[in-house]
Amino acid sequence: MHGTSAIASGESAVDRHAAVVFSSDAEWADHLVAFVRAGIDRDEQVRYFADSTDPGRVTRTLDERGVDAASAVRRGQLLVITAGQTYLSGARFDPDTMIGLWHEAVEAATARGHRGLRAIGEMSWGARDIAGADRLLEYELRIHHEVFARLPLCAWCFYDRRLVPRTDLEVLAAAHLARTGIADCHDRADGPALSVAPLAGRPGFRLSGSAGYENRHVTASALAALTASPAQDVTLDLSALDHLDVAALAGIARAAHRRSAVAPVRLLGAPPALRRMLELFPELGGVMEVAGR
Amino acid sequence: MTSYARPSSEPVQDAAFHHPAFFYTTEEDYLGGVGDFVRAHADRGHPVLVAVPEERLSLLQGVFGAACEGVTWVDMRQAGRNPGRILSMLQEFADRHADRRPAIVGEPIWPDRTPAEACEATRHEALINLAFAGRHATILCPYDTALPERIRAQAHRTHPVLGGPGEERPSEHYADPLAVCRDCDEPLPEPAEPLVLHFGEEDLGGVRDAATDWAVAAGLSPRRRTDWLLAVSEATCNSVRHGGGSGTLRLWPAAGALVAETRDRGRPADPLVGRRRPDPLSAAGGRGVWMMHQLCDLVELRVLPSGLVVRLHMTLDPPPHDGAG
Repeated sequence: MHGTSAIASGESAVDRHAAVVFSSDAEWADHLVAFVRAGIDRDEQVRYFADSTDPGRVTRTLDERGVDAASAVRRGQLLVITAGQTYLSGARFDPDTMIGLWHEAVEAATARGHRGLRAIGEMSWGARDIAGADRLLEYELRIHHEVFARLPLCAWCFYDRRLVPRTDLEVLAAAHLARTGIADCHDRADGPALSVAPLAGRPGFRLSGSAGYENRHVTASALAALTASPAQDVTLDLSALDHLDVAALAGIARAAHRRSAVAPVRLLGAPPALRRMLELFPELGGVMEVAGR
Repeated sequence: MTSYARPSSEPVQDAAFHHPAFFYTTEEDYLGGVGDFVRAHADRGHPVLVAVPEERLSLLQGVFGAACEGVTWVDMRQAGRNPGRILSMLQEFADRHADRRPAIVGEPIWPDRTPAEACEATRHEALINLAFAGRHATILCPYDTALPERIRAQAHRTHPVLGGPGEERPSEHYADPLAVCRDCDEPLPEPAEPLVLHFGEEDLGGVRDAATDWAVAAGLSPRRRTDWLLAVSEATCNSVRHGGGSGTLRLWPAAGALVAETRDRGRPADPLVGRRRPDPLSAAGGRGVWMMHQLCDLVELRVLPSGLVVRLHMTLDPPPHDGAG
């Protein structure tokens, strides 16, 4: 787990995309003020994408805590806008569109002379019945490699425990390599039954838990992220996986087929069930390279 | 024997598919009937699959030689240990040689088959008629006359034709394959003190863990634990997906084996589900049932008014001191 200050000062992609989990207005204000103040001090542009919070309350809170938000807004250094006006204004939430928007936003910030972009996104919309919200986990998984590893961008995803159901929140938080306000779910017996995180060192993802039918939506999100990955070589680390069923294995094969890259997907630490199923269905093995457990 | 005569159970004289039962008593009978069948088809250039118990295999190979051109030899005691996986093997062979009139010898029942295995083998024999209807193929099924009368009577119901080469006659008792399958759905013996686990979708992970822990405590070897986990996983998943959203898993030890049973409200629409090697990329092809048949030593099925019962049997490996080493 990373503390707030570690996230703010961190330079690597691992630290620049963080899940910030809170359960009170006071915690929300603490995170907000620390993040915006650091951005203004570092001459970065700061964007706040509100969902459940009134944008006026964001600037008021900053003013009350000694951050001159009004001046920053006038200078164009601080933008407080709503998700509904921006990336949720289309027919549906689309990770590909979002990734394109991040590239444009960082370009716009640097064109204005800022050293980079930092952003807060309130993620409470993910718990509502919004078209495409089922792709939020895929998006969170993809942006580590497709956005943060490439751009001078630091973003905090605000997850309010009062608005996002616990299980969803834990799976979504686990998709960030930096987290604050939430314990590492893999260390707890009551953590999610299946979680996925991007690999820190190379393109790919790590699955932890059990990829059975009951967790198929999490598996599907991981495989959608795998399919979309533009990297030539991509790794699935399965060493923390207790079980996967044939549907999950077929999903891996399907994702590997659909990838634009020709290199096989590298499977690390595959559980015995995977090897046994490849004996029954050897045709699925052609698009994967299975390394030892 | 009950009469099953009704319009739909009239023997179908299928010009393409030929499925005789051949009754033998002595090795001479066997070599005469089965040996002649193999020779006749091999001579005509038909691909031949001989899937019979190991001792019968040796007998035939003594005559033909193990490397007889065009003949594939399979020990049915191994490949057909679970009767539910035989049909997939036969269809795979027939598919591979579809344009050359494949000929198959399939002997699914031998004297030391258990009654439970013989019941599922009879179901398999009935399903052959559905799976191969209209296909250009011949499947000769040898039956030892030392088998119980009950099993031999079922062979009359599952084979449209009786007798060996040159002396075939229609079976008077040939029955609708679905009627035979219904008759195979006889009551199963109740276990003494099973572990009972009710499950819905959210419980699938916990049920898998419990079934694995139970099997380890019951002495299942590491080698078979993966098979057990995969088979139980597919069975419980099927209850959730196709059996009304929930089911009951019961676990108990049997003689030298472990049994996992799922009960749910499912009504399988296709009696041939899982009897053909599926496309693993298609979720609609009976992938889970086919896997259960491949992984287990016996799969008992019962389609009851209350729903579907699936019993998965997995043999415990013999203790090391009983083994060859």
